[in-house]
Amino acid sequence: MQKIVVPGEKLSDAQIRIENTISDSKGTFSCIMGSYDDEKKVLVPLEGLWNPKRDDQVVGVVEEDKGNMYIINLNAPYKGLMLSKFLEFELKAGDIITAIVKELEKGGTVMLLRPRVLEGGKIISVKPSKIPRIIGKGNTMIKQITDGTGSSITIGLNGVIWLNGGNVDLATSAILKVEEEAHTSGLTERIRDMLTEKVL
Amino acid sequence: MGGSNKPELIKDGKRLDGRSPDQLRPIKIEVGVIKNAVGSAYIEWGNNKIIAGVYGPKEALPKHIQDPEKAIIKCRYSMAPFSSLEEHGRTGPNRRSTEISKVTKEVFENVVQLEKFPGAEIDLYIEVLQGDGGTRAAGITAAAVALAASGIPMTDMPYSVSAGKVGDAVILDLNKIEDNFSDADMPVAISPRTGEMLLLQMDGNLTKQEINTAMQMILKSGAEISRIQKEALKSQYEKILEKYNK
Repeated sequence: MQKIVVPGEKLSDAQIRIENTISDSKGTFSCIMGSYDDEKKVLVPLEGLWNPKRDDQVVGVVEEDKGNMYIINLNAPYKGLMLSKFLEFELKAGDIITAIVKELEKGGTVMLLRPRVLEGGKIISVKPSKIPRIIGKGNTMIKQITDGTGSSITIGLNGVIWLNGGNVDLATSAILKVEEEAHTSGLTERIRDMLTEKVL
Repeated sequence: MGGSNKPELIKDGKRLDGRSPDQLRPIKIEVGVIKNAVGSAYIEWGNNKIIAGVYGPKEALPKHIQDPEKAIIKCRYSMAPFSSLEEHGRTGPNRRSTEISKVTKEVFENVVQLEKFPGAEIDLYIEVLQGDGGTRAAGITAAAVALAASGIPMTDMPYSVSAGKVGDAVILDLNKIEDNFSDADMPVAISPRTGEMLLLQMDGNLTKQEINTAMQMILKSGAEISRIQKEALKSQYEKILEKYNK
């Protein structure tokens, strides 16, 4: 059974090692707002920011062309940076791109690698903490949405999603529904119903 | 402290607004009122109306304030120009707001896990829209909820409430009139998980016995404040959970 916990709330009388918790002689306590599964002993954050890691895929908008590098807006406290000497083509301000995180640099910048320009379509932003649920276990959720709507979808772990083609409006509302109800059970079935009803 | 024409603050064990000495004013907290902020909360504590917003963690600027081992907290408490009738509610940075910003910052430095964000800063804004005594306590309570809603890891969610003395009686949660004419006023912030005291200020004089009584009142009311804080945070998610669990 899942329950919503807030910082300082007791998860267990025993000392167990889970991420984002603190334990002392009295037991284990949550440090974040999350949904806790008592049987599996998993604490999933409900709120939170994107924490850049190596090889994270991101979606962003080119903000500025500085000659030797591009500055990418990632809709996060971090700015993306891409050196133009590694690129075989030129970017211009306003391009939507997807790229891979090479490393996190000091001063709140993220070095990006291997960009790909996303032509057309639109981008939406969701809470970065809900991205794992939108992708689903073994890509099930996102595969269901792409199959059901015919859209091509690129997900950035920074909370920016690019959609193009097919029934974009239906895909958008399905993604926003997953974001809102990420902590509930039986969500995959509800999304399937939603997609089939609208298609028919 | 005190005045020439001091009103009768306690009559037959009831206070001016009809509360008993150890009764809180009604508290209502709402989460997520500012869309641009990472986390925000709005609190109505009696006649106090306060908004708290959290931004960050982001790069700390100017660079010389950065701490390579942990994040820093910047806190700004301020009262809106229309928040109060008297000079007390004067807006802008002044002696009083600088002091309250400092003590609030120190409350949260003890609970936020700053070591997770080296070189970063977390901005905490507390704006009093309407003040009626005990705004620093209400501000800390709201800021704790805003920080929890932002997803910044913290070891505990503190609450704060004030106690004081009117005549011979020790009372809890003073409002503006009681504050102005009281013999003592003591705002306290507590970390409920460990019971640690994070803030203790006092105006006026209290005996050891009176402080004990006041602390008991504060700890007893703290359970109620903590419950309201948690409910405010959980309600948005539990509403959706309930809808589908039936």
